[in-house]
Amino acid sequence: MQLKISLAAATLISAMALQAEDYVSVQYLQYDENKNRTSISAPSLIFNKDFGTDYTLNLNFVADAVSGASETWYDGASGASAFSRGENVNADDVTYGNVDYEDTRTAGGAVLTTRFDNRDELTTGLNYSMENDFKSTEVSGEYMHWLDSSKNSSLSFGASYQFNEVLVHDTVSGGSEAVDADAINVQLSYFQNLNAESYLKASIFYIGDSGYLTSPYLNVVRNYDSVANTADVVQENRPDSRAAYGISLKYANAITDNLSAHVSYRYYSDDWDIDSHTIDSDFYYELHDDWVFKVGLRYYMQSEASFYNADKDHFTNEEYASSDKRLSDFNSLTYKSDVEYFISEEWSVNLGANYYDQSTDLSATYFVGGVTYRF
Amino acid sequence: MKVFSSTLLVSIFLLSGCTVDVKPWEKETLAKPTMKETGTNPGIKKYEEHIYFSKEASRGGSGVAGGGCGCN
Repeated sequence: MQLKISLAAATLISAMALQAEDYVSVQYLQYDENKNRTSISAPSLIFNKDFGTDYTLNLNFVADAVSGASETWYDGASGASAFSRGENVNADDVTYGNVDYEDTRTAGGAVLTTRFDNRDELTTGLNYSMENDFKSTEVSGEYMHWLDSSKNSSLSFGASYQFNEVLVHDTVSGGSEAVDADAINVQLSYFQNLNAESYLKASIFYIGDSGYLTSPYLNVVRNYDSVANTADVVQENRPDSRAAYGISLKYANAITDNLSAHVSYRYYSDDWDIDSHTIDSDFYYELHDDWVFKVGLRYYMQSEASFYNADKDHFTNEEYASSDKRLSDFNSLTYKSDVEYFISEEWSVNLGANYYDQSTDLSATYFVGGVTYRF
Repeated sequence: MKVFSSTLLVSIFLLSGCTVDVKPWEKETLAKPTMKETGTNPGIKKYEEHIYFSKEASRGGSGVAGGGCGCN
């Protein structure tokens, strides 16, 4: 009996050791799109520390350097710029193509998890993000309640609110104006350990966007006149609100001692008529005690927004109009791979190569490399 | 919304009939880093979610916090 208790205690200690969350991780992302479009270099830092058994603090920081070009309509007679707009311009000059841009983004966040006597958890967070033309402050909170004494099932409710500020350029006056675009995100989740090797999580969520949801840098063509051979190149216009609902299901299973699989599905629907389905999978293979290999495949498909059209001769006086391909009907595949090597119990290095391919003409490669120190 | 709520309730109902009571000392496998929701490396997950957020028109389902982005 004593031996049995000792073995159980040893196993529990081992499991707790595996859950130790104290680490510092430095990662670097290099993201490059085809056709000389967006390139991003993004170093990041994550610090995670347990304070006793009741508190966990997570701090994260990322700095993006973005350069390249994005596609939109513009009046080629006045240059390849997002602000090359005009009414009754020569239709032969109306061009859909790359316009150059550069941006930097710095973002940081702090998340504190507090555990109570019954081991319920309250997670509170604060995120801040700043770009040349965009600022965002987000507050979030989530409460997780255990439903059983063995802590195999739980219910979580979380909410966040984003205060966003967009800097909009006025092509007439040449000045800029700061406008608001806020977002609320609410999620209810149910978690269940199915057995000693698998669990499932089911969530429903609501996201509400309000304010200035139009892109300051994207244009549409209106009033194309094939007889006079003229057209208007003007800024796109989107509704000032968006309500989205969705459900997500995630299942993880340790198939063998060293092979585990994660599979998830998400359904999303909003009042811009966009519906999407996402199926994601990741497989982890542990080789000896010092290598972890990951391969993954993600499939995504969406329907187009009600006010989307890519043609030059479509829009006239509709209130809402956009030619942003991200609002179009498309699907995408992401091929993921990553390897992590544990130099010691404290140190590990990781390197990943990934490929993202949309059914639009967009594709991208991204590499992630980093170092993690556990203490 | 009714569809979503119904699906969640059905999931909970189904799960209640096919789960076993896993004791704390039986959770070694569940506690492994490869079984974490975020995967073994939360930093990679954050990068990926940011890429999808900036290149696709839908989001959500992976938690309420994430920070903003002027990706438009």
